[in-house]
Amino acid sequence: MAAIEVNNLSRAYEYYRKEPGVLGSLKAFVHREKLYAHAVSDVSFSVEEGELVGFLGPNGAGKTTTLKMLSGILHPSGGEAKVLGFTPYKREKAYQKQFALVMGQKNQLVPDLPAMETFILNKEIYEISDNDFHKQSEELIELFDIRDILDIQVRKLSLGQRMKCELVAALLHQPKVLFLDEPTIGLDVVAQKNIRDFLKKYNEKKKITILITSHYMEDIKELCERVIIINKGKKIFDGKLKKLIEDYAPYKLIKVTFTGEGVEKYTVEAFGTIEEFSPYSCAIRVKREEAKQTAIRLLSSPLPVDDILIDEMKVDDVVRKIFSES
Amino acid sequence: MKKFLTIVRAFWQRSLTYRFTILSYRLGEIGETIVLILMWSAVYEGQGEVIKGFTLQEMMTYILVGNFFNVLIRNFLAEVVGRDIREGRLSMFLVRPMGYFSYILSQEVGRISVSTMMSVLSQAIVIAFFWRAFLWNFDLLYLLVLVLMLLLAFFTELLLSFLVGLVAFWIDEIDGIYSTIERVRRFFSGGYFPLSLLPAALAQISFFLPFSYSFFVPAQLYLKKIDLMTGLQGLAVQTAWILLLLLAIRLVWKRGLRRYEGVGI
Repeated sequence: MAAIEVNNLSRAYEYYRKEPGVLGSLKAFVHREKLYAHAVSDVSFSVEEGELVGFLGPNGAGKTTTLKMLSGILHPSGGEAKVLGFTPYKREKAYQKQFALVMGQKNQLVPDLPAMETFILNKEIYEISDNDFHKQSEELIELFDIRDILDIQVRKLSLGQRMKCELVAALLHQPKVLFLDEPTIGLDVVAQKNIRDFLKKYNEKKKITILITSHYMEDIKELCERVIIINKGKKIFDGKLKKLIEDYAPYKLIKVTFTGEGVEKYTVEAFGTIEEFSPYSCAIRVKREEAKQTAIRLLSSPLPVDDILIDEMKVDDVVRKIFSES
Repeated sequence: MKKFLTIVRAFWQRSLTYRFTILSYRLGEIGETIVLILMWSAVYEGQGEVIKGFTLQEMMTYILVGNFFNVLIRNFLAEVVGRDIREGRLSMFLVRPMGYFSYILSQEVGRISVSTMMSVLSQAIVIAFFWRAFLWNFDLLYLLVLVLMLLLAFFTELLLSFLVGLVAFWIDEIDGIYSTIERVRRFFSGGYFPLSLLPAALAQISFFLPFSYSFFVPAQLYLKKIDLMTGLQGLAVQTAWILLLLLAIRLVWKRGLRRYEGVGI
């Protein structure tokens, strides 16, 4: 059975416009015209148990809205979502004890207290037995290496440390499904990698189902085999990350390094579109099916080629291309 | 119950971390009580012995004991609830298997307990300072009804604040409403002056409002200006209000949450 099952899920928001200036404000004070924005429209997908799926899209694409519907905070305005067989918006305790939601920009930790106090609070709220609590918290504290910050006020911690504690607080009750909304937002590269490594390990070990949104392609590349991309509330891709590149990147990159004096730019321009250039190395973009041929032509040309490498386009670029197209 | 205690304990600890805040609030409280006493002393000097049945000594006791009760009863829940809703922190509660209502109520009990104890202490010091003017009442029956009344008043105020906080579901800027309600509350509680100075009809009405039970009525009871029977009637009025408020909270919470979740858009 699929852990997450989403069928034609939709969600609209109410809002109103204000004309500029004081007069516009006065008008809006008296009368506001209701408008509807479709944050999510007709999205369907399903996620198998134990899968780690990346949820991609630009700002305002509807990622957070979808996660909120899956965790029962928002009521869908159309369609249906089922997680572990539960209907999220009913907010049954039995469901709530089996999933967790971590938002990079909203904390559940009490900021004025050490993280340990929130852990203890969650122990009671989720009705975790002393034994389980002890085992699980020890394991997580070990994995994250946060033992020495447990008794420091959360507001005094760095963003990276805080996010680790947030994750621990969310995993104490051993959820089967984990929703992560931008868990690495604002973190430095090292902290991001820490979080990623942890998620990877944890997912492999516990086989929990994870749905993660992130703006950092690094997160997605490292963690997810499968990605779902939505833009303007609509799903535009769902499949393996590899396939995404094949489908949406009709180009490959040939990276060439030169020996000796190097080369002039015009001499390589004939082979394809130049992405990067210096006299000693360059990256040439060519059509996928012509990549091999071009490489051969480069090698047999009089250019002082030292090394040659055929590479896929960067996922970031592919995704950026998708977003700008749709 | 264990949940409740854990939350109370956690927020008890939280408030203990803010030593300076706790102390600085007390300064304002003491100052306010003293200002009221000075003002009434001046008024009595020009007016003679008794004003509307209050001697100066009774008036000073009214202020002292009323403020003492008031610090036991009041809370700051409305702002907490309002902020949680407006800033979306409510979401983090909705996904956890515990009702927001019980969570936030326990939180508030823990949150205010430290400052309440400090207030009790500081008000006790003020009373000690004016002990010559202070009238003592050691009538056990009165004190029993008084304790019950204060307990009910505490819960009434808590529920009232929660209800006011829920306004944030519909209105983004809540500060104005809160401050207006706060003033009305303070006026009808008798915190500015004894409600018996008002026309009789108004004073009568205030008996049936929940506000006067956090200052005026218990202070009057302490001064034995109302009898035990009226005191007991007061308990009945309070109980009725608590039930009414619980009902109102249920309704408003349900509707508000539907709005928060965006049902039916």
